[in-house]
Amino acid sequence: MSTVGSSRQAGALYWPVQLRRNVGVRGLFAVVMAFLVAYGFLFPGLFTASGFAKFTQSWFPLALVAMAQAILMLTGGISLAIGAMVSLGAVIAATTMTGPLGVAGGATAVALTGVGIGGATGFIVVKLRLPAIVVTLAGSFIIGGAALLILPRPGGAIPEWLSDLLAGNTPAAFVLLVLIVLLWKLYLATPLGLSLYAAGENPVGAYRSGVPVDGARVAAYAISGLLCTGAGLFVAAQTGSGDPIIGTAFTLNSIAAAVLGGIGFLGGQGTMRGALAGSLLLSLMISVMFFLGFTPVAQYVAQGLIIIGAVAIPQFRKVQR
Amino acid sequence: MATAPLLAARGVSKSFFGNPVLRDVSIALQPGRVHALLGENGAGKSTLINLLSGALRPDGGAIEVDGRPVWRMTPAYAQQAGIAVVQQELSLTASLSIAENIGLGAYPRRFGLLDYPELAVRARAACDLVGLREPLSVPVGHLSLGRRQMVEIAKALYRRPRVLILDEPTSSLSATETKVLTELLERLRGEGIAILYISHRLNEVMALCQHVTILKDGACTADRSLEGTDAGGLVRLMVGRDPGDLFPQWQASVSTANAISVRNFSAGLMRDVDLDIRTGEVLGIGGLVGQGQEDLLLGLYGAIPARTASATINGASSLPSGVPKANALGLAYVPADRKREGLHLIHSIITNMMLPAFARLPALKLRSRRAERETARGLAAQLGIKGDLDRPAQALSGGNQQKVALAKWMPHHPLALLLNDPTRGVDVETKREIYMMLRNFAAAGKAVVLLSSDTPELVHLCDRVAVVREGHIVAMLERGALSEEAIVSAAMGAEQRQVAA
Amino acid sequence: MTAWKETVGGRRALTILRSRPFLTVAIVAAVWIVASFVSRGFGAYGHLRYLVELAAVIGLVAAGQTFVVIAGGIDLSVAAIVTVSAVSLPLLSWQADPTGLTAVLAVLALTTTIGLVNGLGVALLRVHPMIMTLAMATFLQGLLIIIAGGSAVTAENPLVRWIGNARPAGIPAGVLLWVAVSVIVLAAMHATSFGARLFAMGANPLAATLSGVPFASTTLAVYGISGFTSGLAGVLVLGMNGQGYVGIGDPYLLASIAAVVLGGTSILGGLGTYAGTIPGAILLVTITALITVVNASPGWRSILFGSLILGLLLLSGREQARR
Repeated sequence: MSTVGSSRQAGALYWPVQLRRNVGVRGLFAVVMAFLVAYGFLFPGLFTASGFAKFTQSWFPLALVAMAQAILMLTGGISLAIGAMVSLGAVIAATTMTGPLGVAGGATAVALTGVGIGGATGFIVVKLRLPAIVVTLAGSFIIGGAALLILPRPGGAIPEWLSDLLAGNTPAAFVLLVLIVLLWKLYLATPLGLSLYAAGENPVGAYRSGVPVDGARVAAYAISGLLCTGAGLFVAAQTGSGDPIIGTAFTLNSIAAAVLGGIGFLGGQGTMRGALAGSLLLSLMISVMFFLGFTPVAQYVAQGLIIIGAVAIPQFRKVQR
Repeated sequence: MATAPLLAARGVSKSFFGNPVLRDVSIALQPGRVHALLGENGAGKSTLINLLSGALRPDGGAIEVDGRPVWRMTPAYAQQAGIAVVQQELSLTASLSIAENIGLGAYPRRFGLLDYPELAVRARAACDLVGLREPLSVPVGHLSLGRRQMVEIAKALYRRPRVLILDEPTSSLSATETKVLTELLERLRGEGIAILYISHRLNEVMALCQHVTILKDGACTADRSLEGTDAGGLVRLMVGRDPGDLFPQWQASVSTANAISVRNFSAGLMRDVDLDIRTGEVLGIGGLVGQGQEDLLLGLYGAIPARTASATINGASSLPSGVPKANALGLAYVPADRKREGLHLIHSIITNMMLPAFARLPALKLRSRRAERETARGLAAQLGIKGDLDRPAQALSGGNQQKVALAKWMPHHPLALLLNDPTRGVDVETKREIYMMLRNFAAAGKAVVLLSSDTPELVHLCDRVAVVREGHIVAMLERGALSEEAIVSAAMGAEQRQVAA
Repeated sequence: MTAWKETVGGRRALTILRSRPFLTVAIVAAVWIVASFVSRGFGAYGHLRYLVELAAVIGLVAAGQTFVVIAGGIDLSVAAIVTVSAVSLPLLSWQADPTGLTAVLAVLALTTTIGLVNGLGVALLRVHPMIMTLAMATFLQGLLIIIAGGSAVTAENPLVRWIGNARPAGIPAGVLLWVAVSVIVLAAMHATSFGARLFAMGANPLAATLSGVPFASTTLAVYGISGFTSGLAGVLVLGMNGQGYVGIGDPYLLASIAAVVLGGTSILGGLGTYAGTIPGAILLVTITALITVVNASPGWRSILFGSLILGLLLLSGREQARR
């Protein structure tokens, strides 16, 4: 693996760096590809326009929350309020979009809520130095409570054209995901974005190097919040209405996807492409189980086993070596 | 000199939790001069650096840049003022590439985004200065400790500093790397950069520096030109009394019996090694940094998986399967990185000293706090650790921390001590005490294995030295044949080699 | 500077006064006093006794959680384990043993085994505790629905009913059980080598391992204990409730972690004591009771609960920077 050698070629840096980042996730990519091929083989419908749309739509919210969790874990944080944030985003979307605010206003409200609550969480964790896991656990009650206040029972509505656009027979979900990934690449190319890694792995060293450590971490929480409520909006569009507890399962799944994707708990370890691959893998597993006719209950059991297995096997091999 | 110093501290003081660490200390860094800062561990050197670089703010006194006092000094301001620091604890991020680490906090930007081509050019220039030839895209986590240190230095140079502060830059460098660094500093000095150089290696200081400031217990005891002083005089100023000999006089006490004997031993980087460690000897392990020496110790200690054709360890005929087993066989290990591997910094000194006892006693045996305190007091008295033993270990200076890491094994009378660079970053006085302990230990018929990056230590303290290169023991030097040249040439092999990254 | 601060006794008294467990006790006392003035009936003996009885369940779950957290881990499967215990116990026949003891012991053995499996995953497979226990919770959730379905099951086991309802000497049996467990837990934590190993593992696992602390067996024991105390809490909550159903344990996940943290144990491991968790559990129950008094909608209740915990954390839960 020596893509650039001498100082003469120093000009080419960005792509070699990206290539090196792939090293850690190559195995994962191979597994995901294998799963995709198997899935396409079992259900040839995947390669039709509607099959592809359906598949990306079931993946999309999981991909967003996996990114939301991964960005926090990269800075050495974690959130147990992901599910509650998704629910909140969903109920806000379902109660505002058909009202006077309209779709644009509703979407803005969803985004502002995500950034605001995320930023506030970040402020509490970073500036007030409280452990992230406890703050977000308590936060999940506050946020979940707020969702219940807005919409005590499932209801509300999303304009039909929006539902059709996002969750109908269109590749909108995939296009959005590509857009989000591009935006992430752009963010990572800003000094604040790349500082995420330094702030997570070696905060003292990063501070001494002049990195705005606290700023990078608070920004990560804000972005994470935005991704979560965005996922909530999408989920509401999928179901056509809001549900104050619809996001609950996303907390576990976001952590599982991030960890499957090689994001470490200690901060600074892993890559976003890994987290996305992890979420795709998890989404594929869930779909496969669904198509194979697993009952929801059996899905729980299988999912628990698969997550442990997927995390343990590579670890175990490392220990053996 | 009429010009104002580039960076200076005027009568600064600093205390932590009411303990004064610096009292009324002044230092002035002039352009074109390498200024040495000496002092034992805990004398306040690191604190002074942190004040000069803005990581901490003084309680009293002032920091001056170009002769003007700066009231709110921050790392960011220091960077703007052209002050760069190479910290002892590296500031690198393992998952980022060499180039991204070098530019961290001061990236070139275009349209608000990181300008990778520009970064590549400037980072390459900095790397060339320190002789780093690895591709810039390599993640720092893939480099050896010595190479990371070079990246850290390149990172400081990238900022085109007017003032360069280096805190023990050579402690993890090989001889070649040290030479590159020395030449570099000479050149930078010629370009008019002010350099502050901290090191425990006095010969380096004598060779490189022109001026010296010595700290003792937080106060300045000397601020003078190095001309006309000798190493002995410096030590006298540091410890406050005559240095005497650093290394103890000793008689060989080696027996013919083997404490540890392995054949075809492999662990980590070590491959198919035969080794006999005799009772009553100090066996040195030398070589360039990162050739597998550490894996040898950890493998013997059962801390990493190891294979062997045959093994005899204190009478048992197999390698220990884990650390508790190794302890039961009379092995004890003192790690190099005492903060991360040796101590529980947030726990009291007593608890730290008693941990091996807790580990080997039956799990549900009731503790006796009184007995623990007595044992700990005894150990502290024996090793000269002063003060309240209920303080957390992080309150101790580096040297005293190392003493605690050693002391905790003493109540268990280990038959063989495995030491991983026990004097790294330790002050002269503590070094001497540790050397005495090791020789006494050997004289009592125990075996000592001393892995060290400090070559004089291997020459003057060991009965034999095994030199490791690329996972093999390439030479076994007897006491009569020991010299720094012999060890270094064996470590480098016949031809000069690059250090494996 | 007063002279008494310099004496040994004075220093010790000061240490206690400044300690986090004491702070938590003080907060509980203050809340109780204020609440009994504001709300009639709050300060009545019967009501306070009831609060402590409720706190016993949290206290039992949090006992295992305290062990796990001090040793540097976290157990997110406690709620599921409580439910397993409360749901599977009524399904076990107790007729062969008129006291019902065998059924209770069998269930405790089951929950301890679940905990040990968590420990195996963490210690041998090196799965991060959060993942291991979350996955275990997911797994158990599915299993529970298979076993119990959606309906509630009534407990007929005499021992369980006794634990839930008896009041020897006027003190609820559940509280007596909690006291007994507390004594054992505190002794194991602070007076045995096992306890000392936990603190070492939590503060610096690498240094602990290199000092000879048996990492795998200690980890196993810690998660086993957590499974056991959660099982015990399930027995108690079943006795108090009379019925077990899927979801009965859900409130105890956050409660156990909050009680541990409010009691001054560091979520990062290596520092803390169960002596703080005890008032922490009582504090939580008190907060919940006050919120019920306010008579708000479920949404508001949830918000109040979360905010109060967050507020208390701000008061007492700061982590000092480490590294």
